[in-house]
Amino acid sequence: MKISKFLLILFFIFSANIQKSFSDDDKMIKGLEIFNEIAGCAGCHILKAAGSEGNVGPNLDTVSLTEDSVKEMVTYGLGVMPAYGEENILTKEQIDIVSFYVANTAGK
Amino acid sequence: MKKRRQKLNLNRRNFLSGTATLAGLAATASVVPINISNANHKDGSKGLPDFISWKDRNALIVHSDKGIETHRSAIGESLITPNRNVYIRNNMPTMSDKQIGDRNNWKVSIQGVKNPKTFTLAQLKKMGHTTMATILQCSGNGRGFFEHKVRGSQWKTGAAACVLWTGVPLMKVVDACGGIDGSAVFMTSAGVDHEPTGLDPKKAMVERSVPKKVYKDAMLAWEMNGVPLPNAHGGPLRMVTPGYFGINNVKHLGKVAFTTKESSVKYMKSSYRISPIGKKGSQYPSCWEMPVKSWITRPTDETGTVKAGKVQIVGVAMGGTRKVRSVKVSVDGGKSWKRARFVGPDLGKYAWRQFVLETTLTSGTYNIASLASNGSDKQPELRMENRRGYAHNGWKDHSVNITVV
Ligand code: HEC
Repeated sequence: MKISKFLLILFFIFSANIQKSFSDDDKMIKGLEIFNEIAGCAGCHILKAAGSEGNVGPNLDTVSLTEDSVKEMVTYGLGVMPAYGEENILTKEQIDIVSFYVANTAGK
Repeated sequence: MKKRRQKLNLNRRNFLSGTATLAGLAATASVVPINISNANHKDGSKGLPDFISWKDRNALIVHSDKGIETHRSAIGESLITPNRNVYIRNNMPTMSDKQIGDRNNWKVSIQGVKNPKTFTLAQLKKMGHTTMATILQCSGNGRGFFEHKVRGSQWKTGAAACVLWTGVPLMKVVDACGGIDGSAVFMTSAGVDHEPTGLDPKKAMVERSVPKKVYKDAMLAWEMNGVPLPNAHGGPLRMVTPGYFGINNVKHLGKVAFTTKESSVKYMKSSYRISPIGKKGSQYPSCWEMPVKSWITRPTDETGTVKAGKVQIVGVAMGGTRKVRSVKVSVDGGKSWKRARFVGPDLGKYAWRQFVLETTLTSGTYNIASLASNGSDKQPELRMENRRGYAHNGWKDHSVNITVV
């Protein structure tokens, strides 16, 4: 009885996790799509990995970034860069994914 | 984790030739309806972007291809900062020769005057002539010392330069238009460097209003340190607003207007506002007058250890919109101060002065600081905390630690 209850809880935790988090590979695919198409980051930034040639903001291959610093920038924007989070242009999940993508491709 | 390099719907050829708009690319994101018209941004052989490949890589700290800082020790010890060492801070991409076209035919329109007119650069050159030294300093110079997480380039001391401009006094131009019309309160200058991007001018145009009085000392400059104003610094024509932060010295100048209201573009309304951490809005002061400030340029931790004995402590000091009156130097972290001596020519209140304190140091570690005064204000010890890390002039953060052996 106790064990089956434990397993049941375990099952719920496990399935919730599957639903919530993408695998890293999925995040890279989805991140590229957000970068190039959904958010249009490509229009303003060079990122070799994404094949983008935008020249309004800094070339993302030339800056040092962390996933957190990208997240900050995408959430709050700066200058002409839109505040994707504050202005609800992207969802929090999309911001997490595109930040993961940029942090793992910039300069590589 | 596998890296993905495939491109999604990206028509690279159209992109590069400048015929593609981002409408297709960002169809779902009408946020960025822009077209790409220049590609002057690739890394050159020296690790500098193409548009400034002529600069001295060794003098510069590259934060990004659009944010490039002068080393503390490379700001120039002959008063003027050489062009090849001057920092780069771009809100919009530098315009290319092709976009600029015939430089003498560059146009600027003057509005809010009795007889609004448009002048070409060739016409401006006939209207008046002057040379003036001013300090160009990014509002965020010193941001790198703030401890809360501030977005933006982490400048320490090197987003600043002392520059000789040549051009026409704005007064002459205003006079040629019959004087200022009506009850203007602001002088509003706008660049045209956003135009090639196709971005919404409300968000992308660098249009800056400053108090009207600034026009009396302002000039329209076409030469910088003896050469035609480089595109990277706003050529062929730039507004110079002496004593005011860099952003107000609008590059690629297309319009000067005397207005009753501040510009409503983003770069005026919400960017460049000095607000408390956690707050923002246009009710807070804009980055206008620069405060009194100084910093040491030699010796520094960049220049390595210093030999015991006689040492020249050298630096620059600025008064903001007033003449800098004095500088004191401390070698013990601010416990005691000695007055430094100004050296070199005085190029007017808008230029910085160089200072030197000759002293003798025995082996050990030292914290060296400088403290400038313009007669009515002096540098505070601590920075004024603010959300975006602007206008830092606290002496403590700007001090240097050196080791004498
Ligand atoms: C309309 C143009 C524009 C768009 C669209 C845009 N950016 Fe930016 N971005 C900029 C500009 C301009 C800056 C530099 C801001 C500054 O320093 O004043 C910047 C800065 C950044 C930085 C910081 C770079 C540094 O110097 O450390 C990152 C990271 C970044 N953007 C990522 C993104 C991502 C990811 C997206 C899409 C979700 C995006 N940007 C969309 C214009 C844009």
